[in-house]
Amino acid sequence: MAEKNNSIARLIITLTIIGALGALFLAGVYEWTIPHILEHEARARERAIMEVLPEVDYYEEATHNDRIFYEGYDENDNFVGVAVSLRGGGYAGEIEIMIGSDPYAREIINIFILNHQETPGLGARITEEEFRENFENAPFSELEIVRRTPEEPQEIEAIAGATMSVEAVKNIVSRVGDVISEHYGGGS
Amino acid sequence: MARYFAIFKNGLWNENPIFKLIIGLCPTLAVTNTVVNGFAMGMATGFVLISSEIVISLIKKFIPNDVRIPSFILIIVTFVTFTDYFLGAFFPEIADALALFIPLIVVNCLILGRQEAFASRNPTRRAIFDAVGMTVGFTWVLVVLSAIRELFGFGTLAGVDIFGAGYTNMIIMILPGGAFLTLGVLVGVLNLLDRKVGSDNG
Repeated sequence: MAEKNNSIARLIITLTIIGALGALFLAGVYEWTIPHILEHEARARERAIMEVLPEVDYYEEATHNDRIFYEGYDENDNFVGVAVSLRGGGYAGEIEIMIGSDPYAREIINIFILNHQETPGLGARITEEEFRENFENAPFSELEIVRRTPEEPQEIEAIAGATMSVEAVKNIVSRVGDVISEHYGGGS
Repeated sequence: MARYFAIFKNGLWNENPIFKLIIGLCPTLAVTNTVVNGFAMGMATGFVLISSEIVISLIKKFIPNDVRIPSFILIIVTFVTFTDYFLGAFFPEIADALALFIPLIVVNCLILGRQEAFASRNPTRRAIFDAVGMTVGFTWVLVVLSAIRELFGFGTLAGVDIFGAGYTNMIIMILPGGAFLTLGVLVGVLNLLDRKVGSDNG
């Protein structure tokens, strides 16, 4: 019996030591890599903001209800628009989109896909310029997917073979009107 | 030295993880739609395999038999987490492309299998040759597989255009279905080759 206890103690001690050493090592790795990881994220975000608010020279962060809004200004300190990142479910995982908008004209300026897990060659085509152009000057309202060349500003041209991904992007972007209006006034 | 080389060569062909042992197929099927992804997955898996084989062959005497599998897993998890953070910090494009398949290296049975079958029963020097051989064997099949899929799926090889703008992409090759088709044919062809070479020698 004593021997049995002994061996159980030994099992626990072995696993504890391995776990503790592993955790110690990883704590060091975390300290070492996290500044680089955060920097990449910040750079990707900044690039996205510049992309969705083309005339912006600098931007300021404003937080309302735990949501960060990036308010962009041009060289002459004129207000250009607000960028905000929204996320939602896509076909294969979550899609995160930076959306630039003009809260007073109540329209979308441009969008940029920050993160997605969509199928390469199909759903991943939502990141292409040609698809993103659909959203330029789209109004703050429920957008519509069409299978022909769009004629109205709220119409988005579908991508063949990527119905779910396009639908997901449309749904996420359609929410931006409500999110922006909540803090920048307007609303019908 | 010849003995060590034999261990190394083992992973390249005779006990190739993919077309002989048929293990480690989750990343094999999932990420091999471009050559760059296939190669990066091979390297990431190889790093974890080599590091954990070294550590486990070094400390095998201290690990009680009853908890050897959980101990192996703890050690593998440590190296996988390291790889995840390392790629995120220094190779963000690769980290984005491989995304959740990096953490999933933990459950790649190639890695656990080699600890159980080799590292826990052999001296460190032999374990290193085994790990490197398995890494090269795993990676070359991933690269061949992803080259076929990328060529037909995108008309490119490692991002270089091969078939020209007029080529219509075979979407199926990029999707999981294409992975199963290509892997099945590839394993068949390689085993046919193996049998032919074997019978010629014998």
